[in-house]
Amino acid sequence: MGTVMSTRRGLLRGAVPAALAAPMLWTRRAAAAQQLMVRTPGGAFDEVKKRTVYAPFQEMTGIEIVPVPSTAAKLLAMFKAGQVDIDVIDTGDDSLLDLEHAGALEAIPYKDFKYTNPDDIDPSVRMEHQVGSFVYAFVNGFNTTVYPVGKEPKTWAEFWDIKAFPGPRTLADMASGAPNLEIALIADGVPMDKVYPIDIERAFRSLSRIRPAVPKFWDTGALSAQMLSNREAVLAVIWNTRVQVAAAGGAPVAPQWNQNQVLAQAYGITKGTPKLDAGVRFIDYSLSPAVQARWLGAYKAIPVNQQAYAHTAPELMDPQTNLPWTRSKGFRNDIRWWSANRAKVGAHWNRWVLQ
Amino acid sequence: MKPHRTTLLMLPAFAMLGCIFLAPLAWFFVHTLLIDSDPSDLRDQLVAVLASRAMLRAIVTTNWISLLVTVTVLLLGYPIAYYLANRRGFRFTLVVFCVIVPYFTSIIVRTYSWMVLLGREGLINQALRDLHLISDPLPLLYNQFSIVIGMTYVLLPYMVLTLFAAMKGIDRNLLLAARGMGASGPMIFRRVYLPLSRHGVISGALIVFILSIGFFITPALMGGPSDVMVAMLIERSVEITLDWPGAAVMSLFLLSVTLLLYAVYYRVTDVRRLMGTV
Repeated sequence: MGTVMSTRRGLLRGAVPAALAAPMLWTRRAAAAQQLMVRTPGGAFDEVKKRTVYAPFQEMTGIEIVPVPSTAAKLLAMFKAGQVDIDVIDTGDDSLLDLEHAGALEAIPYKDFKYTNPDDIDPSVRMEHQVGSFVYAFVNGFNTTVYPVGKEPKTWAEFWDIKAFPGPRTLADMASGAPNLEIALIADGVPMDKVYPIDIERAFRSLSRIRPAVPKFWDTGALSAQMLSNREAVLAVIWNTRVQVAAAGGAPVAPQWNQNQVLAQAYGITKGTPKLDAGVRFIDYSLSPAVQARWLGAYKAIPVNQQAYAHTAPELMDPQTNLPWTRSKGFRNDIRWWSANRAKVGAHWNRWVLQ
Repeated sequence: MKPHRTTLLMLPAFAMLGCIFLAPLAWFFVHTLLIDSDPSDLRDQLVAVLASRAMLRAIVTTNWISLLVTVTVLLLGYPIAYYLANRRGFRFTLVVFCVIVPYFTSIIVRTYSWMVLLGREGLINQALRDLHLISDPLPLLYNQFSIVIGMTYVLLPYMVLTLFAAMKGIDRNLLLAARGMGASGPMIFRRVYLPLSRHGVISGALIVFILSIGFFITPALMGGPSDVMVAMLIERSVEITLDWPGAAVMSLFLLSVTLLLYAVYYRVTDVRRLMGTV
């Protein structure tokens, strides 16, 4: 959380005049031929990835991965200022789509991949200007001291039932990127495959029904996990990675996977980076089956390389179908809808929270 | 020649301020409002953003919370500053230490420590429940109450130090004279001490209010869903909806209000007195 916060403040104070800092960046770039600047979410994400991906990659290739905290807005500002000091962007597929629309991304040169067969990559995340690195989901996370496993709400409609399942909840804030409109619609009776295009009015009406039980909407993944662990909320719409990493650390929390909303983390390459080859090599390496198995087994996310499915952490697999839960019980988040409608939803959210 | 030479000493500071604060700020406003978007839309843009219900509510919330914080800080800070102005030695050092040390601690750490205390399962609620004073946890966190507590804690040192400087400048002989003329303690305070420390009260209140209206972290972490302050709206426009012209308009508004208050602050505050030179 610290990283996210400092990033935001950094941005507010002066990310925009990046041009003024340019001389410093040039020297850094020239001095460090063996470094690759990668935008990452920081925090727990980097702790796991450092151990399982960055360190072995450096050992093999001599290329050091330097994680740089940055938000999509800051990247866009740097791009507009013509001074991007980041080579590879590791972020949500929705943010990458915004950057792609701004013309800030190179096409991914799949033909240059050496460690990964591009045909093994889940086709739904293998796109021209970005490639998924893992898949995760919005799930119903619950505190097991209040709702023992098996007694938790099994559907979003039950999650919305404040009387049958009492206790405070937390859901995603607009500030996290997107509020849970899809899940609000499902709770209101819309089938999973009919969620898009989102009926914004209906979704907010549904959110209004659960709002009395929401003391706080979460804006960072860390906050959602913290609230659920210390019972500020006993039920949460939360990323499965956060619940399962917290559970592995001993927190009394668990996920219910039914009707999960499938999200993707992805890579993009910044347009005009002088380190294209190193960037492609890093992406290629981290998508290869053995690396995906090692990394995502620890991070509790689902590989995009289908050769690594066999090594997926068992708690991510649906025992009935032997498929990842995202395949057996989930629906895909539509980043194109969000890219086209985020500003509209943002304005609606600003009005709605004041009611 | 002498004043001219000392002015030269200020050049590096001015250059730095100009390069890393003023120039980027001007560049940001010019770029977002006049180059990236159509200047002829500027007026519509201003009206659309500033008259939106979200912004109006945020302005009201921001001012209301800032006012509550300023009053709370003043009520807490005045007695502390009075105590400091009338003590020396170990007690003085101890209290100054208690006021100053939090000032040097990260604001995020201080905000989180309050969250640990005020949470639903936090120390206060747990203690109250263990004492059987309550059965359900009190809603102490994620509302305006918790924002005011968190911000008061962060801003208290500014008030105490400003008041202390003002009170140190009060001539003790005036108080003795009042007593000699037969005035009672409360009367001396009301008729002599309070008026003499008034400029400190105004300066302190202004500085706390100015800092409050731009607050982001504490209300973002400790507030509830509807406690949206202007800085949070700006952040959301920049980061999430990527509406930079909108964010620029709101920032410009916040900056204008702040500068206006600074102008008032400058008028009522004798800066030399604050520096202890008079």
